[in-house]
Amino acid sequence: MRFSKAVRKLVAAPIALVALITAAALAGCERNFQAPMNTLSTRSDLAADIYSLFVQVTVWDSIILVIVLFVFFGAIFWFSSRPGDEDDPGAGITTDHGSHVALELAWTIGPALVLLLITIPTVRTIIRTQPNRWPQDTFTIQVRAHQWWWEFYYPSLNIHTADEVHIPIDTPIHFELYSEDIIHSFWIPALGGKRDVIPGQINSITMIAKVPGEYWGQCVEFCGLSHANMRLRAYVDSADDFKKWTANQLAPPAEAVTPAAMAGEKIYKNAPCAICHTIRGISGFSAQYSYGFRGPDLTHFGSRGTLAGSMLDNTPENLALWIQDPSAVKPGAQMPTLGVRGSDLKDLVAYLESLK
Amino acid sequence: MAAQPKRLAYEFPSYLHDPPGIWGWLTTVDHKRVAVLYAVTALLMMGIGGLEAMLVRGQLLVANNHFLSAGMYNEMFTMHGTTMIFLVVMPLELGFFANFMIPLQIGARDVAFPRLNALSFWVALAGTIFLHLGLMRGLGMLPDAGWFGYANLTERMYTPGVNVDCWDIGLLILGTSTLLSSLNFFVTIVNMRAPGMTFMRMPMFMWAMLITTILVLLAFPALTVGLIFLFADRFLNTHFYVVSAGGTPILWQHLFWIFGHPEVYIMALPAFGIASEILPVFSRKPLFGYPMMAYSIVLIAFLSYGVWGHHMFATGMGPIADSTFAITSMLIAIPTGIKVFSWIATVWGGRLRFTTAMLFALGFVIEFTIGGLSGIMHASAPVDLQQTDTYIVIAHFHYVLFGGMMMSILAGFYYWWPKVSGRMLNEKLGKLHFWMTIWAFNATFFPMHFLGTLGMPRRIYTYAPNMGWDFWNFFISINAFILGFSFLIFFINIVWTSLRGEAAPADPWDGRTLEWSVASPPPAFNFVTIPTVVSRDAFWVRKYGGATAHGIAPAIAGGAAAGVAMPPAVGHAEEEHHIHMPAPSLYPVLFAIGLFMAGVGCLVWTRLIIMGGGLLGISIIGMVFEYPTFGKYNPEMIEESTIGVDHRKMGMWAFLGSECVFFATLISTYMVYKDRNLSGPDAMILNIPLTSFSTFILLTSSLLMVLALAAVQRNDRKWSVFWLCGTIFFGVIFLGGQAFEFTDFVLHGLKLQTNLFGQCFFTLVGFHGIHVLIGVVWLTVLMIATARGKIGKDRSLAIEIGGLYWHFVDIVWIIIFTLIYLMRTVKHA
Repeated sequence: MRFSKAVRKLVAAPIALVALITAAALAGCERNFQAPMNTLSTRSDLAADIYSLFVQVTVWDSIILVIVLFVFFGAIFWFSSRPGDEDDPGAGITTDHGSHVALELAWTIGPALVLLLITIPTVRTIIRTQPNRWPQDTFTIQVRAHQWWWEFYYPSLNIHTADEVHIPIDTPIHFELYSEDIIHSFWIPALGGKRDVIPGQINSITMIAKVPGEYWGQCVEFCGLSHANMRLRAYVDSADDFKKWTANQLAPPAEAVTPAAMAGEKIYKNAPCAICHTIRGISGFSAQYSYGFRGPDLTHFGSRGTLAGSMLDNTPENLALWIQDPSAVKPGAQMPTLGVRGSDLKDLVAYLESLK
Repeated sequence: MAAQPKRLAYEFPSYLHDPPGIWGWLTTVDHKRVAVLYAVTALLMMGIGGLEAMLVRGQLLVANNHFLSAGMYNEMFTMHGTTMIFLVVMPLELGFFANFMIPLQIGARDVAFPRLNALSFWVALAGTIFLHLGLMRGLGMLPDAGWFGYANLTERMYTPGVNVDCWDIGLLILGTSTLLSSLNFFVTIVNMRAPGMTFMRMPMFMWAMLITTILVLLAFPALTVGLIFLFADRFLNTHFYVVSAGGTPILWQHLFWIFGHPEVYIMALPAFGIASEILPVFSRKPLFGYPMMAYSIVLIAFLSYGVWGHHMFATGMGPIADSTFAITSMLIAIPTGIKVFSWIATVWGGRLRFTTAMLFALGFVIEFTIGGLSGIMHASAPVDLQQTDTYIVIAHFHYVLFGGMMMSILAGFYYWWPKVSGRMLNEKLGKLHFWMTIWAFNATFFPMHFLGTLGMPRRIYTYAPNMGWDFWNFFISINAFILGFSFLIFFINIVWTSLRGEAAPADPWDGRTLEWSVASPPPAFNFVTIPTVVSRDAFWVRKYGGATAHGIAPAIAGGAAAGVAMPPAVGHAEEEHHIHMPAPSLYPVLFAIGLFMAGVGCLVWTRLIIMGGGLLGISIIGMVFEYPTFGKYNPEMIEESTIGVDHRKMGMWAFLGSECVFFATLISTYMVYKDRNLSGPDAMILNIPLTSFSTFILLTSSLLMVLALAAVQRNDRKWSVFWLCGTIFFGVIFLGGQAFEFTDFVLHGLKLQTNLFGQCFFTLVGFHGIHVLIGVVWLTVLMIATARGKIGKDRSLAIEIGGLYWHFVDIVWIIIFTLIYLMRTVKHA
């Protein structure tokens, strides 16, 4: 190996480059960074499993990268051609036959061992997170994906809702995934990995949520025009909170008391809304006639934090915006413009928001 | 005797100028001209694909942006992916670099099938235009279902417009082009290497291209079948990818990724080859670990067929499939790692010259390594469940595709452009291009790892503010614009130096391989005399002598005096022979027009399909009989064929290889779907006795074909015609049996669209029937030519190749008959 005069400079250069790159890489590794879809903020057993595997792979990847970068930049800095090489055509022509058995064996077997160390926990995690049977107290929630909103049905409780899913804490939750049209993908990063929702088969994902709170999710399989707008909220509730929520959902829809809400209820009954939407007790239209174009259940719409596939916060202004022109808010939305305007619109909004 | 002035290559006009005029370019079959045609088209598409990316990043600059509508955004990301993969990287690597360099590096004058080469280009151009044909119905009609077009979004019900039709048919056309050019390069590399150039002596780029062509032949047919099924669903009312008849959209994903994963290696291997050429030249050292580099390419290609499920970890394949694909995906990292380490070892201990080509090649090594490391993360299925369909995957594949393939392509440009154009690219502009690219590329794509970790999904046209994504999206978009600008510098460099650049010598880089031994740009016939090769790095050894224990320097000083074996600088006295180059032909253009017309006919007017098909048929028959050497068994050519097999026979074998995959895919679909049939007639409708009889007929026809070939080879015209007529007659009986069977089924209520069984059966047996029909027509043409005395012992190759095809079609039928007919009551889990 030939070193030129400024040895320290040549050794420092590759080290500096490697340090710079590593620093840049680590810049993104903030676990508690406030991002609602942060995949590193693990809040369930599944997410924690995945995270520990992720850390292992990242550590191995980083070690390999640092070594490769060091050798690579070292070679570049140490072996550049010297001034005067162009005048001496024989300079640097080596008899190197280009092989070194020990080295080649080492860089075949070494990586193979590292990969083995990654593969073994990988396979164990795969098998652990997809067992044949789940414990007795597993709580099933049916998730139905539509273009472009999420519907949730609790078969054991007979609760229909949309956009928001409430989950009891410390219980195995078994999400059964059904697609009403095309392939979607169900993902709540804080609670674990994603699972595609495929028409014609019932996929599932199961996890135990460990930390109460509000977690955001989104569809992650391209599903057309408003794929970006197919979002959801997940609420992990303590046992009491979950009981409260369940009771509220099972209760009949709130009586309209304010004059605006009562006027709005009349408007709702006379408009085509009930063809696609269900408000329990108003009419049973949607179940019979709306095959293929069903909309979210609105029985307790007022208690939800978001609307339109969790695109917008549930405020009167946003609701008015939505009803006035759904496809302006959400390109391709199936909900037609109903022509409800002015004070009629205000009343309808008041009625819907009163459905707590 | 007066000294004969040595005829030097640069005394001849270059391929660029001779023959002059547009007609020359339209009818060219010169591989170098075809390569330039590919390059010009691909560079144009590079600009367009890049613009599409800029629009995508413009929309994602800020949250809730309204720069592009949702529909337009979906079109842009779809076209960006489709364009970059099928219209930029593949044409540049296969159509340009491989096309130009393969004959030059192996010491040949052209490729094995020059007209097929030109045809591949014109068909690729037709496909390129076809993909964008929707624009004629308005800006909103570009394909918008993603470059991967997942079913069942692509069904007519969810995407009714002509856009996905253009995508579907356009890719079928492009696939045809790629298959044909790969067949060509495969035969060229196997059959046309210069004397003395064994496989282990050929440049590493040749190894890469050889294996790439095999990958294309054995992977593209799976995509073809998938696209055909989509076509059938959209145009013929079948239900391959929908649930209502018992099918599943997952079938598309399997078919697509069984093609798709080898596809990324089809893009990667040529890039590996290019880097393996450039790094040794600018390190003044031979490639490290040549044998292992060659074997690792083979291993990567082999393993690439076993990893496709890693694109489907989220689809719920079950723990066994997930584990298997995780393991195989990890495995493929080992030979890839060997290559990366060998490149670094090549550079280690050398005398590095940092030309722009070298800089890009070095950049390739590191950026590809980073991409490969994130790939290892994705291979771990549980980790992938958080990463797939997020920006981490976008980061990963841009690191390997852009940081890897594109940088290698750019390196190849700076390296080989002097040879192609006769001009040196400006090094200052080149270095500016490089440093701008290195900064902007890493600044654009590295932060995408962060975005993905923070949960940003792919393919979303907008995002809400305060998700933690705002800063990085803005940062990425700005740098993406800089990256786009860096390409402008590259284009300016090319245009400027083409007009006023410094003239390039034959060997500007002190190269190691044979392309540097001819003028820049080369004459149409490449080499004045075909060189004889005695070792690896053939040109280097010719310049500096072979390596000895005492080093090479003495050899430079005084050749034989140093006791070094010098290879002959000039070949035999071939200078006296005429060099015969293939004649130009218009049929390739006509073929492409015919194919294009047929495609347009599917969209607008069915009669156009027949007209296009007619033009196709005319061009094929025209090409077959165009040269007086058709079917001629040429002993000279056999001697010169490196492996001893005629090009045309080798070509037929390569074609049959791809046909194996085509039929295997159709048969596998049948097997997977046969137990999912929900209603209507199923396999019990099959008439075993009747079909057994037609099978016997078809098998007998093969025997008759063997007898026909034997008769032709002993010049017995009467019996040749007799046995050929027999083969044709039996083939027609078989077809008659098929026609009867199909009609019978239709009358009993089983049509293509009736149910799952119907569509799988009719496509499989129907395609086989089409193959038999083509065979019958082919053999009839041969029989007529034989009857008229045009085919005798000297042209028996024509019969032999027809026979190969016919026997293959028979063997496929045996498999179909066994699996579909005889085993119809066997239930497959």
